[in-house]
Amino acid sequence: MEPGLLKSADWPLLIDLYFFLGGIAGGAFVIATIAHMLDSQRYRDVVRVGYYLALLAIIPAPIFLIVDLGVPSRFLHMMMVAKPDPAIGAGAVSIGPFHLKLLSPMNVGAWALLGFSLFAFLAALGVFLEDTKRAQNLGTFRVVVGVIGGFFGFFIAAYPGVLLGATARPLFVSAHWLGAMFVAVGLATGGAAIALIMASMGAQARDALSRLMKVTAFALIIELVTLILFLVTVSGAGSAGISRALSVLVSGQYSVAFWLGIVVVGLLVPLALQFGGAIKKANPVMVALISVLVLLGGFLAKWVIIGAGQVVLS
Amino acid sequence: MARTLAMFTDVSLCIGCRACQVACKQWNELPAEEPEWTGTYQNHANFTDKTYRLVRFIEKKDEKNQLQWHLMFDVCKHCAQAGCLEACPTGAIYRTQYGTVNINQDICNGCRYCVSACPFGVVAFNHDTGRANKCTFCNDRIHNGLGPACAKACPTESIQFGFRDELAAKAQKRVVTLREMGYKNAQLYGEDQKGPLGGLNAFFLLLDRPSVYGLPEKPKLPQSNVYVDSLLSIGSAMLVGIGAVVAFRERGGKGDS
Repeated sequence: MEPGLLKSADWPLLIDLYFFLGGIAGGAFVIATIAHMLDSQRYRDVVRVGYYLALLAIIPAPIFLIVDLGVPSRFLHMMMVAKPDPAIGAGAVSIGPFHLKLLSPMNVGAWALLGFSLFAFLAALGVFLEDTKRAQNLGTFRVVVGVIGGFFGFFIAAYPGVLLGATARPLFVSAHWLGAMFVAVGLATGGAAIALIMASMGAQARDALSRLMKVTAFALIIELVTLILFLVTVSGAGSAGISRALSVLVSGQYSVAFWLGIVVVGLLVPLALQFGGAIKKANPVMVALISVLVLLGGFLAKWVIIGAGQVVLS
Repeated sequence: MARTLAMFTDVSLCIGCRACQVACKQWNELPAEEPEWTGTYQNHANFTDKTYRLVRFIEKKDEKNQLQWHLMFDVCKHCAQAGCLEACPTGAIYRTQYGTVNINQDICNGCRYCVSACPFGVVAFNHDTGRANKCTFCNDRIHNGLGPACAKACPTESIQFGFRDELAAKAQKRVVTLREMGYKNAQLYGEDQKGPLGGLNAFFLLLDRPSVYGLPEKPKLPQSNVYVDSLLSIGSAMLVGIGAVVAFRERGGKGDS
């Protein structure tokens, strides 16, 4: 297809912000759950900040999504309609007024957002009840909530990438690595956000900060690898239209934000600082600086890739 | 399910009168749009929320460096495996008993996912209503045995509407005739139900390669990526999850956390 004839959904900044916040929320939740299960006493602050952050980051999500709809009052149609049609797709399952469309990442994502929001609330509630001594011995409850919510957290971080891959946009139609990359961005930004909050609160928790930097560094490496695989896959697709779409990202109007923002500021500089001693020393100022860079790079990863993919070529 | 209905467009018969385009506008009560200069007689450059069908005017030089004029009546393909239908999170896009693909305007909430999921750039977002629009094969007409307005208006029978199996047989005979007449590149596009997207319910007889008409040579169902992309995402999740476990399990200085 002549790429200029394909249409774009023209998703605005709100959607980029949702994908960014969803990644932070999912990543922070997963990290909090892992920290809680490994040593709930030692990593108490990580768990507390992680679960509260996951809830706070996911609260604006449905608002952003609803505001962006052409008919916002119909947001519930994402999951239910009064009279569903029987022939709505190969992967569709309807139960009463509800429908689940397994091949529509946007539909499954709406259900996952509902599930994640519920578990993010329950996890934050568990922290609150124990902190305020209103409840004790919530161990099993918190582990169950953490594990189930953790799966939702991974999903919330990943599905926007799969959603983009299931479009006909030339930049995305042959790219299989966006979901994998967005998981890594989610864990990196989730870890960085927890570290930034802990560092800026003046917590002298160098052990926790050091471990959070390790998590973030590892996620950044996966992000870098999947980003390279994304570029290799798209450039190897062998279509002139796809090559033109890729050039918008790597040498066109988004190239400065891509190379300087995502690759240098968001990946290479934080990794160099982390392996240059920041993980070991865990100086709060340095941790805060690295976290800001990772968060900036994480946001740009969503904004630049979605923006470049939506450019309609003439 | 009733017998599948389809539209067969024989571009060798199209004279570019655009009666189909006008008939579509009239029957569907679609307002006029500002014309735009596309470099040829074609207007508009592409489908819009107010133009569900258009005649493409394509100019191409042949091997003797002489200008050829290709005309093609373009329309929603009502794919047997439709990217828009699979993408739609609300269930607003559905398949009718005749195999056509429609958007239920009472359900569509304007998420625009279908717009980016159509491999042919057909579905368009209507900013006035906040919903997605496209050709319905004149759903109201075909449920009353009338056939779409465009097919009715076509003076040369370039556009034919009827049962898919009958039209496919007719198309196969016609392509043989055209090749015998010397149109060596004459070919059917979307007629084969074992081909890409399970076949198109609006299929074409083209006089040149599909790409000359702006059509993808091998259209792909975007949702076919979901399986691989999901598996890779799970793999990535396992890796970063292991990374987090290792980071929090490693022995280190206890105390100040």
